[in-house]
Amino acid sequence: MKPVVRRAGRAAAATLDGLLDSRFAGDAVERLAASPLAARAVRGALQGPLVEAVAADLVRYRVADRLLSEGLVEQTTARVLEGEEFEYVIQAALESPTVERLIGSAIESRLLDQAVVRLLESDDLWLIVDEIASSPAVTAAIAQQSVSFADQVAGGVRSRSRSADAWLEQRARRAFRRRPAPPPDPGAG
Amino acid sequence: MSLAANRAQAVARPAQPAEATAAPLAYVGIVTRAIAFAADAAVIQFVAIAVAGTFALILSVLSPSDKFDGAILVVGSAAYGLWLVGYFVVFWSATGQTPGNRLFQIRVCRADDDTVPSASAALLRFGGLIVAALPLFAGFLPILLDDRRRGAHDMLAGTVVVSAPPAEITARR
Repeated sequence: MKPVVRRAGRAAAATLDGLLDSRFAGDAVERLAASPLAARAVRGALQGPLVEAVAADLVRYRVADRLLSEGLVEQTTARVLEGEEFEYVIQAALESPTVERLIGSAIESRLLDQAVVRLLESDDLWLIVDEIASSPAVTAAIAQQSVSFADQVAGGVRSRSRSADAWLEQRARRAFRRRPAPPPDPGAG
Repeated sequence: MSLAANRAQAVARPAQPAEATAAPLAYVGIVTRAIAFAADAAVIQFVAIAVAGTFALILSVLSPSDKFDGAILVVGSAAYGLWLVGYFVVFWSATGQTPGNRLFQIRVCRADDDTVPSASAALLRFGGLIVAALPLFAGFLPILLDDRRRGAHDMLAGTVVVSAPPAEITARR
């Protein structure tokens, strides 16, 4: 290559860098993007054979496989799920009146009633209920509850009968002019 | 040791624990004991009625001759008496506690050494219980007046009835 051409190329590259760094370039790009021309260009590209060609190339060069094998999808998914943005989006969705209205209409719809009726008619549901009801954890909890209640009742009766013991004994000793009974041991029974 | 001497020794050593470090005994009064006895009576009668009902059904199918009625009555009465006596004697002499006693956390023990009464002492106590109930339950009156809350049957058998919280029962095993 001749030195003159080389110098001219370097000068052109430097000029292009200067243009790209300038704020006029930014303004020009923004105006171009906002112009109907850009919209028409994109519409034309989407209507034309470009979409099919890009899709065919994506399949041909196994772009999806390459992305999956490089773990890019997992990393992106993890980033989205762990990020605060996802939480904000979910929170905003839950708080939005639209979602609330959708959930309300879903609950009031016949679909839910039908689903419940079908669920109640299915044998699998009662199989699950039977399994849960006869599970050791549930039976132990019920037994524990019953024993606790019986203990509570028996404890109440015990306490009252001990008081009645003392009361009756006091009256009997007074009637027979006997000295009062020795005080009961506070730590026992 | 004679019974009188035994009783005198029991009075002379009130609430003598088996071990020096054991907590003093809390003697149980007449109301708690009466309710515990009622619970035992309920258990005894429930079982007796269930068994008698079963045999009555069996006999109704077999339709034995009327001349066996007397024998059936005697056998049934004997079985009931045996069940009644056996219930108390076995429980008192085995653990010191009938189911009713356990429900009310009380136990029967020897007055002198806080141990479970022997079978003969338990049998004597049951006999004393019947005798104490005959004169309009007058035999239970000493429970209200005695420092160790003993009835006539306790004095006869050399036993006392004391509190037995679950922790104490576990520790004694």
